[in-house]
Amino acid sequence: MNKLLQSAALALLLVAPSLASAAPEAQAILAASDAIRNPGKPFGLVVNLIEYRNSKQTDQNTLAVYSKADLNSGQYRSLVRFIAPKRDAGKLMLKNGNDLWFFDPSSQATIRLSPQQRLLGQASNGDVVTVNLAKDYRAELVGEEDLPDGDRVNRHCYKLALTELNPDVTYHHIDMWIEAASSRPVRARFYAESGHLLKTAYYRKFQPELGVERPLETVIIDGLDPNWVTVMRYSDYAWREVPDEWLQRDYLPRFRPE
Amino acid sequence: MGAARWLAAAVFTSAAAAATAGEADDETNALRLADQAPTVSQENRPWRASVEVAHTHSAPAGPSTWTEEDRLSFDFVYDDLLAPGLRAVFSDRLDLTHGNATPHEGNVNTLREAYVSWQKTPQQIVDLGRVNLRYGVGVGYNPTDFFKANAVRFVVSPDPASLRENRLGTVLVQGQRLWSDASVTATFSPRLDGPASSQAFSPDVGATNPSNRWLLAASHKLSPSFSPQVMLFGGENMSPQLGLNLSALVNNSTVAFAEISAGKGPSLAEQAAAAAAKAVADHETNQQRAALGLTATTSFNLTLTAEAEYSSAAPNKGQWDALRTGNPLNALQLLGTARALQELPVRKAVFVHGLWQDMFIKHLDLQGFVRGDLETNSRTQWLELRYHWSRVEVELQWQLNSGAPGSVYGTVPPSRSVQAVLRAFL
Repeated sequence: MNKLLQSAALALLLVAPSLASAAPEAQAILAASDAIRNPGKPFGLVVNLIEYRNSKQTDQNTLAVYSKADLNSGQYRSLVRFIAPKRDAGKLMLKNGNDLWFFDPSSQATIRLSPQQRLLGQASNGDVVTVNLAKDYRAELVGEEDLPDGDRVNRHCYKLALTELNPDVTYHHIDMWIEAASSRPVRARFYAESGHLLKTAYYRKFQPELGVERPLETVIIDGLDPNWVTVMRYSDYAWREVPDEWLQRDYLPRFRPE
Repeated sequence: MGAARWLAAAVFTSAAAAATAGEADDETNALRLADQAPTVSQENRPWRASVEVAHTHSAPAGPSTWTEEDRLSFDFVYDDLLAPGLRAVFSDRLDLTHGNATPHEGNVNTLREAYVSWQKTPQQIVDLGRVNLRYGVGVGYNPTDFFKANAVRFVVSPDPASLRENRLGTVLVQGQRLWSDASVTATFSPRLDGPASSQAFSPDVGATNPSNRWLLAASHKLSPSFSPQVMLFGGENMSPQLGLNLSALVNNSTVAFAEISAGKGPSLAEQAAAAAAKAVADHETNQQRAALGLTATTSFNLTLTAEAEYSSAAPNKGQWDALRTGNPLNALQLLGTARALQELPVRKAVFVHGLWQDMFIKHLDLQGFVRGDLETNSRTQWLELRYHWSRVEVELQWQLNSGAPGSVYGTVPPSRSVQAVLRAFL
């Protein structure tokens, strides 16, 4: 009997490493999903936000976003320029983690914002810029589920539970569903520290952009009021080199895209 | 007991299943709605323009006749690249007024900016022309906004943001050098001949360029979220002034800021007396100015700023009383000078500003401020209710200067006004 147990234990020891390597590593799944949403080099795109309350369109904004990863932190720094509505045209927001600056070309004022100051209705400042979740959150694989994606096609997904690695992030914890076969993000639920659901996001309408099939729409549904919906539509993807010198407060009054 | 537990578990399970089903229905409905979202294309044009009509009622203190004024304003900004690295900016505002006070009509054109900017490399930029230089992290008072004196030709609103926006820039040549975590700007603003002009279409360079002045401004990122700005300002007939701007995040919803300037200079009373005599105040003593504050935002998008304001050049209670009792006109002269120089009229003040975006209903904003004078216990307050559509907005503004007779804001004319504004963005 003892010999049998010893053999079983030995077999388990030999097999265990290969089992472990077969199981996907949660952080790697998240990083692969980040790479689907975010191009690997500095880039620019246009974001159209259309907001609905009770099925009625209540707001619309158009933004040009320029993003570049910081070599030290790996996190993105983003410069956001308001294109529409006309009353906001030309305004700029610079986001580097929690270092947030807002420039109004009318008053020539550059002011520091707190992360809680929202400029865009339902969408937080963090929603419109590029974020590498794998840099800010620790991922844990909590299961596998089949669920309909944003285009109502069933997908087999890994469910990841993300917990914040630093308190500067927009959301305390996130549940994220990532398609097992493609690493595409499918759905995410964003929570406050209290456990209260803040919003649900669906990533959909995948199309080739800058070499990878990326979601061209994110649909955000409010956690408290599901009739409050924001459609974020991405277009005009392009590689855009943004010099490091431009990603600082003192350059904002001068920013003028080519 | 076992049955009760089973029943409770069944109820809980079916309630959870119903909630999940309801959630799924909500999400399906939201996705269907998103399917219908229109395709939007936005023209990214190099100019913006607006037209504004306004009607104002205002009155001095006491039971007296209200004066009325109608205003038509045109606002135009052009900002574009003429060639790679060569940017041109033109910004102008024309205010046409008609009222029952004397004079009945007053037209004022404000040439805010007209300059070209050449960016030789991403790190080196040179500007030439009239630029609205705006420094300072303060919300209500900006001691380091060194080029603000005599820049406002027409007061559209007492809102500090409007006073910073609707003003003349300074004619200058300046260069900026950028590094990845630092910036240095050197500015020279030459003396341009001619006195300040009240002619409607005058560029009024005499007001903004009365003497040769220079400014050095440098900032350096000391940590990922802390980049102080240090300034040195000087020129003809003045002692150098040191300026400092600091801001930092206190927590997720609060920002702290400090704006400080120090240097030798005349008092406000001496500047008022010199302005009345069309002379230059030449008696200088050490002066310090500061605006220290906190800005906090609530989860329902109400942003509140509390700012402590100080100017050693402005009168304290004893000096104000002596000025007023000596000759009441001196007090009015000092208030006029403070307004022209955009300086504090009183030694110590507290400024509270609030902005509540989407108050109760979407697109309805309420903003206002109160500045309390801590020397003579008087107040100036302003409130604005604004509703906006995508291209049109309407505003209702109310202003009141209050305080005992003889107090600082109890002396400011007019004491109260109401203004209705309709603005269309073209």
